[in-house]
Amino acid sequence: MTNKTSEAIRRLAMAASLVVLYAFLYLPIGYVIYASFSVDTDWPFPPSFTLDGYFDLFESTLYFDALVNSLMVGLGSGTLSALLATAGVIGILRFRSRFRGISVLIFLAPLFVAELLIGISSLAFNAKVLGLSGNMLSAIAANTVEGTAFAFLIVFAQLVRYDWQMDDAAMVFGATPPQVFWEVTLPTIWPSILGAFLISFILGFNNLDISFYNLGAIPTLPSVAWGSLRHGLGPELFALASLTNGLVLVVFAVMYVLMTTGLVRFGYRGT
Amino acid sequence: MSDVAITRRHAGRIRISPFLVLVAPGVVFIFLFLLLPLVVVIVFSFWRTESYNLYPDWNLGNYHALLTEASYRTFLLRSIVGALIASVICLVYAWPVAYFIARHGGRYRLLLVLVLAAPFFTGVILRVVALQGILGPGGLISITMAELGLPPIQGLMYTQNAATLGHVYLYLPFMVTAIYLSLANFEFALLETAKINGAGPFRAFFEVTWPLNWVGSAVGLVLVFIPCLASSITPQFLGGPNATSFGMRLAAQFNEAGTWALGSAMGVVLFLCSLVVIVLMSLTINPRKSGLTARGLD
Repeated sequence: MTNKTSEAIRRLAMAASLVVLYAFLYLPIGYVIYASFSVDTDWPFPPSFTLDGYFDLFESTLYFDALVNSLMVGLGSGTLSALLATAGVIGILRFRSRFRGISVLIFLAPLFVAELLIGISSLAFNAKVLGLSGNMLSAIAANTVEGTAFAFLIVFAQLVRYDWQMDDAAMVFGATPPQVFWEVTLPTIWPSILGAFLISFILGFNNLDISFYNLGAIPTLPSVAWGSLRHGLGPELFALASLTNGLVLVVFAVMYVLMTTGLVRFGYRGT
Repeated sequence: MSDVAITRRHAGRIRISPFLVLVAPGVVFIFLFLLLPLVVVIVFSFWRTESYNLYPDWNLGNYHALLTEASYRTFLLRSIVGALIASVICLVYAWPVAYFIARHGGRYRLLLVLVLAAPFFTGVILRVVALQGILGPGGLISITMAELGLPPIQGLMYTQNAATLGHVYLYLPFMVTAIYLSLANFEFALLETAKINGAGPFRAFFEVTWPLNWVGSAVGLVLVFIPCLASSITPQFLGGPNATSFGMRLAAQFNEAGTWALGSAMGVVLFLCSLVVIVLMSLTINPRKSGLTARGLD
């Protein structure tokens, strides 16, 4: 009895630590949403609200261009990262090779290099060795480097438990390797690949340190934020961030419903 | 499977090792876009910049400047200590959170982790400015304290502590995710065995859970330490005048100062510092005892 009580207390304390962390993480997001509606970004009392930030946002082409560019960096590096990392993890976990150890090390190497260093080194390489000025492809490539390492870590940690005998069984019954992948492997592992894509997308979408040095004058959301810091962040940026967070909230709500009803299990195998 | 790139089968049909087909694209990509540029930075660190141009006269002048000028030592030391403190705070706080998600998250585990990652949809600058708006003078906390007739909290803003708080805020999700990924592969049934054999919950944690998931903690420590060490935006906005970091000076060499050679040398120093931590961490990992690799690699 006492054992059960203390177990319940420990569980409650851990749940509380999670809730406090969520509150800590979302307090500044709440501030961003507040600031997007507020006339004044200080804390006047009583607060007065306006939608000007949103109207200005939709009239401005700069923020639209920046959003499109950020999306391109995010989608490009997210997709490439997920593909490169998933292929790498499957190769490393499934097939024996004496290059296994060194391959794992190279895939994880970008985690050991700070974003700032990835940014300046690709700037130095592009500008002085290749003679390239800032461009979108360089930015996607440099962000993919970081994204691939995170994607590799995520997919690897989840696929360690994958049972490759299922694939072998399918092969025995005559499936070709691509068939095995699409019909056996992918249906089981897609949540990890989705997770890896999402994380590398988010990293690329909002990256300042890497993208800043690779894009030159091409604006992205973080570089616009950086540029407007001198005269204070415009309410348009807060408005845009609020809309993004609103969209994320909707996606999470949909995921929650899918998980609760069990329509999509996202890799969860229990009941 | 063979690990030779191309093996000859029967009468001349060429078969490529599936390992290489799957692994090579990623490895080559990282080699081209990470390792090659890093080599370029190492080379430039021995060159010289003069009025925004690089000159290949090999010299140690940049490193000499970094070693002899006291301010660089101060910035570097400040960055290292700050990153260590932030990493340890993240480690301690992340454990109960990650443990709860892995053990009690049930079917919502993925969602609970993604909720931790979602703040990254809002850029670092916006979130740091928001922290400033909450902690700063005229911010939420100060105004509330004043309304309640309380004295303001000293050192809440524009101190080294504020910068550390900013780092914890930004990178705690990395730590939670790393520990969670390790715990997701952990057999919690082992704890039942420990209990049956008479271990209390704390003993079971420190003798079973903690050592078997050390790889998660170690990866998390590296993931937090490295961005904190190189951090430039957070100390600039939250740290105040006495928090100038190594990363801020490094970024300045590539922006307004235009002294790429010195900046490259600073980059090399930064990388060497990270490398020391990575090597120390990897020495503590026993692959046979870790939840992440025990079943995957041999």
